[in-house]
Amino acid sequence: MTGETPRTPAETLSESVIRERFERQNYVADDRVVTTVQLALQLGRPLLVEGPPGSGKTELGKVLAEGFDTELIRLQCYEGLTAENALYEWNYTKQLLAVQSNEGTVAGGTGPESMDAIDDASGAASHSGSGAAAEGERPQSVFDDEFLLERPLLRALTAGGDRSPVLLIDEIDRADEAFEAFLLELLSDYQVSIPELGTVSAENPPIVVLTSNRTRGLSDALKRRCLYLHVDPPSFETEYEIVSRKVPELDGAIAAEVCAVVERLREESFLKRPGVAETLDWARAVASLRADGEAESLSTDEIERTIGCLLKEVEDVTRVDTELLERLQAAAAAADDRIEPTD
Amino acid sequence: MSPNRTPSNPVDDGSRADAERRVVRGLDRASGDAVPDFEGARKHVLTELVRFVGRLRREGATVAADGTLEAARALSVVGLADREPAADALRATLLTGADDGAVFDEEFPTFWHRLRTGIDRIATHEGTPATDGDESETEPAADLESDAESEFLSDAEASTPDASEGTESVDVRISTGRRHATGETAVDAADGAARRYSAVGDREPVAADGASLSDSEGAAIDRFVAALATISGRRTRRAERGDRVDARRALRESLGTGGTAMELPTREPVPSELRCCLLIDVSGSVLDTIDRDTLLAVAERLQDTARRGSVFLFDTDLIDATREFERADGDPATALREAEIEWGGGTRIGGAFETLRRRHPHAVDRRTVVVVVSDGLDVGDPEALEDGVTWLARRADAVVWLNPLAVSPAYEPSSRGMATCLPYVDGLFGFAGPSDLAEAARQLERRGTDGPIGYEHDPRRIGAEPDGGDAG
Repeated sequence: MTGETPRTPAETLSESVIRERFERQNYVADDRVVTTVQLALQLGRPLLVEGPPGSGKTELGKVLAEGFDTELIRLQCYEGLTAENALYEWNYTKQLLAVQSNEGTVAGGTGPESMDAIDDASGAASHSGSGAAAEGERPQSVFDDEFLLERPLLRALTAGGDRSPVLLIDEIDRADEAFEAFLLELLSDYQVSIPELGTVSAENPPIVVLTSNRTRGLSDALKRRCLYLHVDPPSFETEYEIVSRKVPELDGAIAAEVCAVVERLREESFLKRPGVAETLDWARAVASLRADGEAESLSTDEIERTIGCLLKEVEDVTRVDTELLERLQAAAAAADDRIEPTD
Repeated sequence: MSPNRTPSNPVDDGSRADAERRVVRGLDRASGDAVPDFEGARKHVLTELVRFVGRLRREGATVAADGTLEAARALSVVGLADREPAADALRATLLTGADDGAVFDEEFPTFWHRLRTGIDRIATHEGTPATDGDESETEPAADLESDAESEFLSDAEASTPDASEGTESVDVRISTGRRHATGETAVDAADGAARRYSAVGDREPVAADGASLSDSEGAAIDRFVAALATISGRRTRRAERGDRVDARRALRESLGTGGTAMELPTREPVPSELRCCLLIDVSGSVLDTIDRDTLLAVAERLQDTARRGSVFLFDTDLIDATREFERADGDPATALREAEIEWGGGTRIGGAFETLRRRHPHAVDRRTVVVVVSDGLDVGDPEALEDGVTWLARRADAVVWLNPLAVSPAYEPSSRGMATCLPYVDGLFGFAGPSDLAEAARQLERRGTDGPIGYEHDPRRIGAEPDGGDAG
């Protein structure tokens, strides 16, 4: 059981394997994340990841796909997202052309909702429709796989291959509640019902990761179908490890200072507190400004000039005064000692 | 696989076998070469899990209806050998929001301790089909339903084997703090009722003054004194009915019904023994305005009811009149009259408070309700008054100010003395006769000292002219 078997990777994974794959992807995860991911894989449950923006929720989905060497199907949610955008759509142009060139039939011809059309499709063309046979030779129905445009959710269900794809439903809290309800069938049974085609169920159930920024509460029905994982801002040590892995070009001591400053900044009551993503941005910015690899401590001036990487609200930026900058620098100066033992 | 497993069990075969295997792993670690009782261990784990979920729900966490099943499966995946993976697994399956994390952290140590000790116990009873503890416990499925009812019972019985298990685990709380609180209030309530007898014993009513009051007036005074008794405790307890809505609880319970509060839980103050300090301003402006009979009756009732009641008369000076009011042969009416004649003139409230602090420091403590009867017309130093009243407010549980002037609908506390004191006073009420006391009692009962109370909330003030208490 190495986890390399071509069948669904989920059942064969031990904790150490998951940890090793995260490791390989430079994804620093604490025990809670690893255990929860292991459970999600082994129990075949969707994983609902909540946390502030920039805490690596989306990254978790990407890392899972990369780590298991499988396809990542991503659905970015937004207000007004409909089932058509997310699940499937009929290729109307193609249908129209097919009907006009007499290659296809709508079998009654009132549109996708026609009962005859459903009969035609689900009855596997054994009886070729009541009135549709008037076309002479038996044409193909335009409500067929061929005319179906697969959107992310359907693709996740029908994806071929040996491995389960990773379905990342990003920022589910931005979608309407109606869409959330629509997801329920998919999440619990890994199947969807298409009126014209019947029920499509997944051979290889996808690994589903949902992320939420908690801009609104999710319905209990959705939550009860998922395993829940709350991602907190990382500790200094964890963040230091993340920065040193993701931004290797930055000197280790400076990376520690960067993390210390961010840690100190999170204590302030900003509108938007910097997440790990901001830390990485800033670390890269600092690294690129110090082209020649100088290893001086961060100066207040340097912090002030690059603070835009960390704070994204004008109210927050204006709150950074000399006093705070000095305190930040003090935190940075103290950071060197904190990483001393680990070096 | 054991032949005698119950088919009704919620966990499916595969994961059950898995669970057993994991349990065994834990057992092996605990007891070496023992032959463990798989069935008993499994049952124990599930029972504890169900109990844990029940407790989470009671503490307000939202756990999905089938969360327990999922949690059981999750436990079978991660095993019971180590604490942290088990905690993470339960967290992932049982919790549905970040806010419930605190409740989980609170309850998990108890769960884990009970689980481990139970498993260890089973492991040491090698080969016994089921241990005593397990037999006496209800079936998991039934437990889910009757968990609330059996809480006390099961906890009581389960704590015995736990206690006998020894001392290996340190971070353990066998029972929740809430239960302590419940028990405590029950005892207190009984105590309070028992203690609300006068320490003084039998004595004559104060001359004929009390007799001049009608029954309804007497009832109003009784009600006022009883209301004072409720404010001496800041604690509240859950009530079956009442009009103080427990908003926190209502909100929490409404989560289960999609944000609609189906019923409104209420709380009531825990009655406790009353300690009261009555400060009576004997300046002519006060004594001429209020109904003296009523005032004396109040003092008498307080003496009668309170566990400790002291009475001070003040004007430009302050004297302790407790003994006059307390002794069977005392004559409070005369004392009052003499005090008035003796002093008369202006009032120095600040000085009186200062004297109280210096000479009778034990008259007021943090459980004492201070009732000041004064019109707040102060001729002394405003700073001294502020010092005095802040001391009083800080020291006392509550300060209720009965102002004879405040019965007027046009009254505003604009006099210098009253304006100085007002911010530190919990409730300023009008006081001229028994009906004013009834109104004050109504507000105190309804809103407590933290709520909006005072003369300005008197419905009679808002409505028409004050309808009573114009005795002079």
